[in-house]
Amino acid sequence: MSGLSMETATAATLAGSPRPARHRPPASGISRFVDSGLRWACRGAAATILLMLILPVSVLLIQAWPAVHRFGAGFLVSSEWRANELEIPVRDAAGKIIQKDGENVTTIEPPSFGALPVLYGTAVSAMLALIFAVPFSFAAALFIVRVAPKIKIAGPLSFLIEFLAAIPSLAYGLWGLFVLAPFLATTVEPALISTLGKVPFLSWMFFQDVEIAGATVRRQLPAAGRDMLCGGLVLGIMILPIITAVSRDVLKNVPRAQIEGSLAMGATWWQSCVEMLRYGRAGLFGAVMLGLARAAGETMAVTMVIGNNNQIVLSPLAPAQTMASLLANEFAEATDGLHGSALLYVALILLVMSLLFNIVARYLVVGKNSRTSGAH
Amino acid sequence: MPARRDNPTARVTSNVLYLICTVASFVIVGVLILITGYLVSIGISSISLDFFTRVATGDPNDPGGMKHAIVGTLMLLGMASLVGVPVGILAGVYLSEYADDSGRLNSAVRFTADVLSGLPSIVVGIVGYELLVVPMNRLFDIKYSGYAGAAALAFIMVPIVARTTEEMLRLVPGSYREGSLGLGATKAQTILRVILPAATGSVITGVMLALARVAGETAPLLFTALGSRFLTMDPSQPFPSLTAQIYTYATGPYEKEKQMAWGGMLVLIAILFVLNMLIRYVAHRSVRKFQVS
Repeated sequence: MSGLSMETATAATLAGSPRPARHRPPASGISRFVDSGLRWACRGAAATILLMLILPVSVLLIQAWPAVHRFGAGFLVSSEWRANELEIPVRDAAGKIIQKDGENVTTIEPPSFGALPVLYGTAVSAMLALIFAVPFSFAAALFIVRVAPKIKIAGPLSFLIEFLAAIPSLAYGLWGLFVLAPFLATTVEPALISTLGKVPFLSWMFFQDVEIAGATVRRQLPAAGRDMLCGGLVLGIMILPIITAVSRDVLKNVPRAQIEGSLAMGATWWQSCVEMLRYGRAGLFGAVMLGLARAAGETMAVTMVIGNNNQIVLSPLAPAQTMASLLANEFAEATDGLHGSALLYVALILLVMSLLFNIVARYLVVGKNSRTSGAH
Repeated sequence: MPARRDNPTARVTSNVLYLICTVASFVIVGVLILITGYLVSIGISSISLDFFTRVATGDPNDPGGMKHAIVGTLMLLGMASLVGVPVGILAGVYLSEYADDSGRLNSAVRFTADVLSGLPSIVVGIVGYELLVVPMNRLFDIKYSGYAGAAALAFIMVPIVARTTEEMLRLVPGSYREGSLGLGATKAQTILRVILPAATGSVITGVMLALARVAGETAPLLFTALGSRFLTMDPSQPFPSLTAQIYTYATGPYEKEKQMAWGGMLVLIAILFVLNMLIRYVAHRSVRKFQVS
């Protein structure tokens, strides 16, 4: 702190101090006790925060261990999710079911769990959400920073965006379930099916290979409404405000000289915007990562609209399942040890994944633009 | 070398993209207002006096009211604040006043707090189940309980309160500390009588931010407080909350109960709106205080 600013600060303090400092005698026994008490209380609270990360991770790790031990990394690539034992009739070389004493000979397949469908569902729904949300968010952030101040609506617009960011995801889920999903099922998806459905190389979007009695049948997907598309859309709408708010903060921190310089060189409005985007690209990427972390970890809204089908189907019109929605749906019913353990394995993956996203986002947003917090 | 402003093509491109940006922002705001407007308009029609004065009946033709859920949410928020606010503020004080800025422990705590605020809420719920519900079931024969629900919410509140408190305490000019210490006050006296009073408004903002965040949470409560359709003041029982009740009603089959869900959502959004206005008001006032110097 330079001498001058210290002087002005002190003057301001004397003028505006909320409580004029009184003369105090040297610290007595009691105040020394309070002093060390507060210090230890603060240290304890700080240690609590560290424990709040260590405890959950270790508890999840311990509880998930049976599943981690049993399935290992294969858990990530297996798409089987079966909580019950399966009785399979044994067939001989010719494919005929072997019978003994008039009854089928069977083998018991133990329960088996794999996270591939939910990993796929999480990744695809989050990607869809980003595809919907990012262009709109960046455009709106540019508008708020470059255009809105001129027509004096930057303040109200910012307030609106921040308020919308605070609306609970359950509200978006409710709207998705009762308004968007029926609208998709009755209007949008039939229209898509009747137009794009005839394009030959887009047929993967509308058909699903189903195995019925050993034979593979190609079946047209119904317009379900509650499906991957709906989940992605709801997630996209949900993360719009947060990405907009953070990228607005990032763009605001671009030095004015950067914009004015490019304008002085004869750049058009858009070219100077491109300059801004380029300057803030790390922070903008951080904003996208924050949105991705939100989308990937979101539970209630997705559970309500994604259809909850634990299967990999390429088509966005098919019901799907994400890690979070799987946990919300099955955790309460998982009585069997291995089933619960497998779910905790999924929770552990979700935890680690969101930690990674958040670390990258914090590093990019906070590292490049010192002290930007999304909340303000 | 991009074309200059006097190039007609570049100018047209720029104008078109200007228009696109404008339209896009109005589309965003429009869609979001449409959604909230829809929630509000449907919600209003299902709110009556009964909504606030009656508890759930369990009868799909006459679902009663949401009094139990509103009271439950307020009580959960109160209990969560009782734990989360002091711990959060103390941790914030530690980060701002005690910790050595370049210290490794300090940056570890700050980093952890940042990362914790991005934890998926369903994970918080599951951890709450494993850390609280299961042990409490073994020790005291309490299964799902208000205590566990409040603890899960407090878990989310602590990092938010800690980080905002830290940021706000850092705004208090260093001369306040120097002046107080120079007059012979202990560090604790400086913090409790000078710094915290000077930053009260901002610290309250942080607390309200945290409350606004947890008031709308459902996932952490699913496996901890569980939800209930009875009005209860006993936190050792499964505990009702607005969000859990909305979720149960919305995903259930009955039309009248879905109506109640819309009404509940409206009440929740109203609470959040009031909190948001308060946050802006308090934050505006308290930040301005230090901008004189």
